[in-house]
Amino acid sequence: MFGAGAMTNSIPEIRGTDLMFVIGSNTTEAHPIIAMEMKRAKKNGAKLIVADPRRIWLADIADLYMQLKPGTDVALLSAMMHVIVTEGLHDREFVDKHTTGFEDLVASVSEATPEWAEGITEVPAEDIRTAARLYATTEKAGIYYTLGITEHSHGTDNVYGLANLVLMTGHLGKENCGMNPLRGQNNVQGANDAGASPIYYAGYQRVDDPVAQAKFEAAWGTELSPTPGMNLNVMMKHMGGLIRGLFIMGEDIVLSEPNTERVEAGMNGLDFVVVQDIFLNETTRFADVVFPAACFAEKDGVFTNSDRRVQRVRKAVDAPGQARPDWQILVQLAQAVGYPMPDYQHPSEVYAEMAQLSPKFSGISHERLEDNVSGLQWPCPDPEHPGTVTMHSDGPIIGKAPFQTIAYRPSEELPNSDFPLLLSTGRTLYHYNSGTQTRRASGAVAKQPENFIEISRRDARKRGLDDGQLVRVSSRRGTVIAAINISPRMKRGCVWMPLHFPEANTNRLTNDVGDPVTQTAEFKVCAVRVQALVQAAK
Amino acid sequence: MSDLTVPILTGPTLTLTLDGEQVHAQDGETLLDVCRRAGKDVPTLCAEDRVDPMGSCRMCLVEVEGQRRLQPSCAFKVQAGQVVQTDSDKVQRHRQLLLSMYLADHELDEDDLPRERGTGNLLRQHVLNHGTGPDLPPINAPREYRMENNPYIHFDPGACVLCNLCVRYCDEVEAVSAITLAGRGAKTTIATADQKGLLDTTCEMCGGCIAVCPTGAMTEKPSLASNFQEEKVVRSTCNFCGVGCQVNLHTQDNKIVRVTSPPPGETVNDGNLCVKGRFSMEFVQHQDRLTEPLIRGKDGGLHPTSWENALKVAAEGLMAVRQKHGTDSLGFISSSRCTGEENYLLQKLSRAAFGTNNCHQCAAT
Repeated sequence: MFGAGAMTNSIPEIRGTDLMFVIGSNTTEAHPIIAMEMKRAKKNGAKLIVADPRRIWLADIADLYMQLKPGTDVALLSAMMHVIVTEGLHDREFVDKHTTGFEDLVASVSEATPEWAEGITEVPAEDIRTAARLYATTEKAGIYYTLGITEHSHGTDNVYGLANLVLMTGHLGKENCGMNPLRGQNNVQGANDAGASPIYYAGYQRVDDPVAQAKFEAAWGTELSPTPGMNLNVMMKHMGGLIRGLFIMGEDIVLSEPNTERVEAGMNGLDFVVVQDIFLNETTRFADVVFPAACFAEKDGVFTNSDRRVQRVRKAVDAPGQARPDWQILVQLAQAVGYPMPDYQHPSEVYAEMAQLSPKFSGISHERLEDNVSGLQWPCPDPEHPGTVTMHSDGPIIGKAPFQTIAYRPSEELPNSDFPLLLSTGRTLYHYNSGTQTRRASGAVAKQPENFIEISRRDARKRGLDDGQLVRVSSRRGTVIAAINISPRMKRGCVWMPLHFPEANTNRLTNDVGDPVTQTAEFKVCAVRVQALVQAAK
Repeated sequence: MSDLTVPILTGPTLTLTLDGEQVHAQDGETLLDVCRRAGKDVPTLCAEDRVDPMGSCRMCLVEVEGQRRLQPSCAFKVQAGQVVQTDSDKVQRHRQLLLSMYLADHELDEDDLPRERGTGNLLRQHVLNHGTGPDLPPINAPREYRMENNPYIHFDPGACVLCNLCVRYCDEVEAVSAITLAGRGAKTTIATADQKGLLDTTCEMCGGCIAVCPTGAMTEKPSLASNFQEEKVVRSTCNFCGVGCQVNLHTQDNKIVRVTSPPPGETVNDGNLCVKGRFSMEFVQHQDRLTEPLIRGKDGGLHPTSWENALKVAAEGLMAVRQKHGTDSLGFISSSRCTGEENYLLQKLSRAAFGTNNCHQCAAT
């Protein structure tokens, strides 16, 4: 949006902010330590606005809570923009100096009144006004979001909407403000940075840019393809067709990707599958070869966190049996197919090669990280550079940032009489993604032993369902069994399930329709029905 | 155990006299801030940067001219012209008597010193550094302990000095208020509301109570058998969510026995950890870990093989697909759980060794 895909500001800046707008992020469960900073900011007097279909923990301490209908974020954000421009609360100087396309944006939200949005989002128009005014008129105001924004068929529009808010109010390039996607996994940022992407080499250099191609061809000593590849969601859809062989490192795709039945059918259509992981999982059922890998405590390297902070991972214990660090296996596999990958002695040599090819972090090295115990935040272009805490402080790094007009459109799959409930999915505090690690943790298992479905009291009562009762949850794609959890956090007509349980895999239900730009799948909205497994004993 | 950082002067200063020397301070600071900056050995038990001062342990008392009683330096604000003594006879007498009183109500080892627990006992250090006053008879307070029902957090009332730091952390930092001071007089102890087990409270098992406990009365249950002085500590980064918390992995005999946070102040997590970072490390040593390469046999099952053979079979299998269906019929899925270097190598493998840009990490959202 502004020239780099990452948090514009830093996690420690949260404690000094005056307003937090948290949307599509259940921060206390998914990012507990960031939530602690938010609690601290709140204690210091900051205002908190929360927008989430679930009445999450943060909603309880929020100054303003907006319980929007899942998938209606664009309407909410458009109405907030409408309020800001019609009431003249935008930052004219910033808009003139650093942005383009403001007139088009103003025109595009002219009809998006809070009353119109109330009809779609079910958030009272007056609350939308209050939120917009508070956000626009508070100097130090930050937006914090995560997959509740992106995992939609209109995820890109959601992000554009937030970016527009940031730009029109000039909340960019200043301390304690910004646009802050909280990354869900330890090294999402680092994997993107390193070029695990169909369109970018390491350091966000496009594969179809001849200059970048020539640079990497020279460095790697081989010809490279200028054709952008398929992203993950597209690969999943083409398994058995265009895609006939997969190498999978450290992901349980069968559990983690949406629409499990289709993924399983696709896996069966593959000629050859190699999996490299630390445990057997759902995906290894389809593997022809399984490589045993070392986990994070058994190897050296770096992780890059949400706020672009490169930090060291250090070996503490030996890997079990013959398991090897992933980096060694990759080198050995490359050599086995005849590519002369160098015999790196240590990941620091790999990092040095990557840094040399990537101006964004060419100032970072393992040696420097020994001296900088709190890590180094990119951009960090040279070895003297101290790293960047707050990005865009001299204006957006792409120059003038364009406003992007957005228009509300409903999610792809809405409830009907057969599938009357709207399902969202997510993570809990105790478990982590596919559960291979936390399902082996005694405390997590004690707290949450099995899959459950959160449902409002009224929806449960209407179906005669009791707390703890097992039910069959079905969508157009599949069925899983889960325990009823009657929850005051749920909105009527909405249900929620976690993703951590292979034996009752919630992704059998989810929709694999993707956002038209990013192809990120709509994990957050699909239609389901809930039926008692056996009649309640009464 | 509590870790206190030395505050840095940033604004206009005022001057006061500390142990006969002129020192600078900033409006709003406490006497303890000034003492720490001046390098004074003012002992504390209940002080911790992340929570408001409480002044409950009385260890940090200092003599302030014009004040009739000794004052807790952690809560007493600086004023220009103050004259403060941190080591006068009166302060020393008070400290030694106070330590005697603590000893009378604390579980002791064979040397009559506070028992070493968890990651250390600050009370023991204070006794060794400052000495004690009169021997007082043991109190043997009848404290009841009712938070046992949980897999992670052990509490030993006999080692608790009731500084209330764990409760304040739970209230002010984690903000779940799962534990509280309960009971009266000598029976006072740390407990949960309605005396429930921790699992049945709002507790999120972040273990912050363990991290701030000055005496080790709160400890990690899985680490009870481990002596922290024999543990090797390796600084690393947590492998769960995207916050990038810094962790100290404590190991012994090639096993992770405990996870702690580096001190507050210099890291993104500021000394805090969550339940996953502190406790969900059982997977590392789990018996289900893959320990040898496997290949699919004719019977349809996965069977152990050598690395050499596994690499050969994998290379041949992938190359055969490429030959039959073309370069872009292969896909490489990388992991946001692996390191940056590994992600770099995976895209290099995909692009340079196999010639396709069909390479993506698992969580590109």
